[in-house]
Amino acid sequence: MTELLLASGVDVAFTEIESALLRPSAEAGKGAGMALTATIVAAGPADRLRDAEQAVAGLKDVGVRAVLISHGDNPAPVPRVSNHIVALNGLRAEYLNNAVAALRLSSLPTLVWWRGGNAPNLEGLARLADRLVLDAEDPEEVWGRVEELAQYTSVTDLRWTRLTRWRALMAHFFDIPEVRAATDDFRTLRIEGSDVHTLRLFAGWILSIIKRRDRLTFDLVEREGTAPIETVVLGGRQELVLRMAPSRTCVETSAQVRNLSSTSRIVSLGGQDLCALLGEELRIRARDVAFERAVAASRSVR
Amino acid sequence: MNSALSVTSIRLFPPKSVSFLFVPSNPLQDGLRLEPTPGPTTLVIFGATGDLTRRKLLPALYNLSRGQRLPARFSVIGVAREDMPDDGIRKIFSGSLREFAGVQQEDEVARSLTERMHYVGGDFHDRALYERLKARLDEIDNGSGALFYLAIPPSIYATVIEQLGAAGLSSQASERQWRRVIVEKPFGTDLATARELNQLVHRHFAEDQVYRIDHYLGKETVQNLMVFRFANGMFEPIWNRRYIDHVQITAAETVGVERRANYYEGAGALRDMVQNHLMQLLALVAMEPPITFSAESVRDRKMDALLAVQPLVDDSGGCEVVRAQYAKGWVAGAEVPGYREEPGVNSKSTTETYVALRMRLDSWRWAGVPFYLRTGKRLPKRTTEIAIQMRRPPLEIFKRVSPTSVAPNLLIVNVQPDEGLSIRFEAKIPGTRMQLAPVMMNFRYGSAFGGTVPEAYETLLLDAMLGDATLFARHDFVEGSWGLITPVHEKWKGENVRSLPTYEAGEWGPSEAEALMARDGRRWRTL
Repeated sequence: MTELLLASGVDVAFTEIESALLRPSAEAGKGAGMALTATIVAAGPADRLRDAEQAVAGLKDVGVRAVLISHGDNPAPVPRVSNHIVALNGLRAEYLNNAVAALRLSSLPTLVWWRGGNAPNLEGLARLADRLVLDAEDPEEVWGRVEELAQYTSVTDLRWTRLTRWRALMAHFFDIPEVRAATDDFRTLRIEGSDVHTLRLFAGWILSIIKRRDRLTFDLVEREGTAPIETVVLGGRQELVLRMAPSRTCVETSAQVRNLSSTSRIVSLGGQDLCALLGEELRIRARDVAFERAVAASRSVR
Repeated sequence: MNSALSVTSIRLFPPKSVSFLFVPSNPLQDGLRLEPTPGPTTLVIFGATGDLTRRKLLPALYNLSRGQRLPARFSVIGVAREDMPDDGIRKIFSGSLREFAGVQQEDEVARSLTERMHYVGGDFHDRALYERLKARLDEIDNGSGALFYLAIPPSIYATVIEQLGAAGLSSQASERQWRRVIVEKPFGTDLATARELNQLVHRHFAEDQVYRIDHYLGKETVQNLMVFRFANGMFEPIWNRRYIDHVQITAAETVGVERRANYYEGAGALRDMVQNHLMQLLALVAMEPPITFSAESVRDRKMDALLAVQPLVDDSGGCEVVRAQYAKGWVAGAEVPGYREEPGVNSKSTTETYVALRMRLDSWRWAGVPFYLRTGKRLPKRTTEIAIQMRRPPLEIFKRVSPTSVAPNLLIVNVQPDEGLSIRFEAKIPGTRMQLAPVMMNFRYGSAFGGTVPEAYETLLLDAMLGDATLFARHDFVEGSWGLITPVHEKWKGENVRSLPTYEAGEWGPSEAEALMARDGRRWRTL
């Protein structure tokens, strides 16, 4: 892999970085004729960028340029440049927007992957981004700003991306006419998993959709050592269950609803690692209104 | 240890007088990132033990299931002559995944799908088979839509369609209990038989229940051709006779007739490839922009393009179609027999394994722009592409300074195996001299967006379940295409030749094909 350390100066020499990225190398040869599709900017605390680097490295064959910026106090950190990744370690917050503006691929979408840090910087980044993917360890503060940030760009959260398949499975149940007819019989929604924010987001999603919010009682159960979301049970006089299968790569679904012969199946969860989730986000361009509503509704779930 | 750390119970907002938790249209689907899934469906595969089912359909179902594209209520009923229990089709499914989907160890998704597979055996001509099928459909899911896939020899299409109609299996009791039929190619063997088959189909199924499959149309690049043309402002203005010199469409195979001699002897390259695949590609290149991206609008414009194609046999009997047969030769380092020496092939066969033709489209856009089509077996390379060659610049200003001639710009749509688009243009070779060289700019589906490009059968099966016929051939297109091809077959029949020109296996076709292009001062692309 071509890796280059550029000399530090008062100003970060972005033009040098650009030429380093364009310089041919043995490994770059494979992708030399590749169509470029997007820039991914991962920004966050240094400890949250290690796995981010691994994730974007997995996207090297996808025509993506990756920019990794860890927060710090350095106005001109030494950039580390490899084939399709530029890493700026410890960049001072006020230089963040400038770095992103200079390093993104022109005329192609920029996805900003926000892994936490000083939230006031976010507005400027949102203005530069075509998609802002939130992924803070504690998302409370930043979720409170989703409505504002959505004025500038399409906003989502990686926790929401993880829920894609779960939401689809729940929605599929309600494609079955007998399940739809039994809607009034569902009175409880029990969601279990290790990440309370994910559980709240799922609950927020349901809350943002249902018309009779008073009819459902929510039980969010946080369990250590499990997946962010492990089980969803919509219960009452009828029951719909989504449960992580023993393989941890699939979900078992089952429905016990009147007039419906027992329906159960096992479906794949798809890739759940960071690389796969980012890959999913790269395919989406539209505003994620469902997420905005879900995150707003999740605030009433405490 | 899975101990509950905290349990939160909440009750929200005061009651309101609304009877449903959700509005009736399933709002949970709103904003879902996954593409739409069909409603409850039972897929009935006629020919469940056959090659197509094992190679393509069952792996496609598995992949759709993995991608959560199948509905929550989904079942498969295999139908074939063999007498076997449900377990028989389940074993075929497992074998198919091992052999054709690379799934060595059956996973949870496969097991879950297996449980939804059923089997009904019997003679396709026997009415009792269809009564049993009907009873099975009711037993498994009497409220779902049913998609009948005819993965059977064309000679029994009519029988199965007739019997489906007679058993009431083509009737749609409600919007939810839709009935659709997928018919594989070849749809007829000439204009008369295609018309006859269409009439028979329409006696039992409305046109919007009929899905005539051409797997080329399920390929990403073929769909992207419409996006490329109609979602970009820069290509459509030059997509006409003023800027385009000619179009070459090539579908080359390295394989010979293999185990299909029985079918191929009666078909030949013109029926097997040109009437369906190549005509579809031609229509996509030549069509005018549709008003909307809807099945009818797209298919109307494709039909217009087909109607502009001039007869391949002119009034004086002239015909710009070259045919040939492969002789023995070498392909991929192996010596291979000639067509007439292949097992199952008549040693005096005059069935063409190669065909090249020149087509003229009399339309405002394409007048004077020839479309050259070629397809053949035992060619040096497996590739399908559409090459659009632009006119040269009006003035060669670099002629004096650059010894190399300027190559015309090319736009290449790679349909298979490496799906993508390439553009060839001239660039200056770095150095003090003014020297020009052609360079290629490539866009590859396999890498540009990541993820897995779905197999054509996945796309098409799902579209049929969703009721989207955009990528399927309409009855008038099939008949229009046969209307162009049939006179060529009639002319050949009248010629009653004893042998065809040959080309050595591993070569790019006969010299007659080169001559066809050379007469126009052009040549086939070297692939």
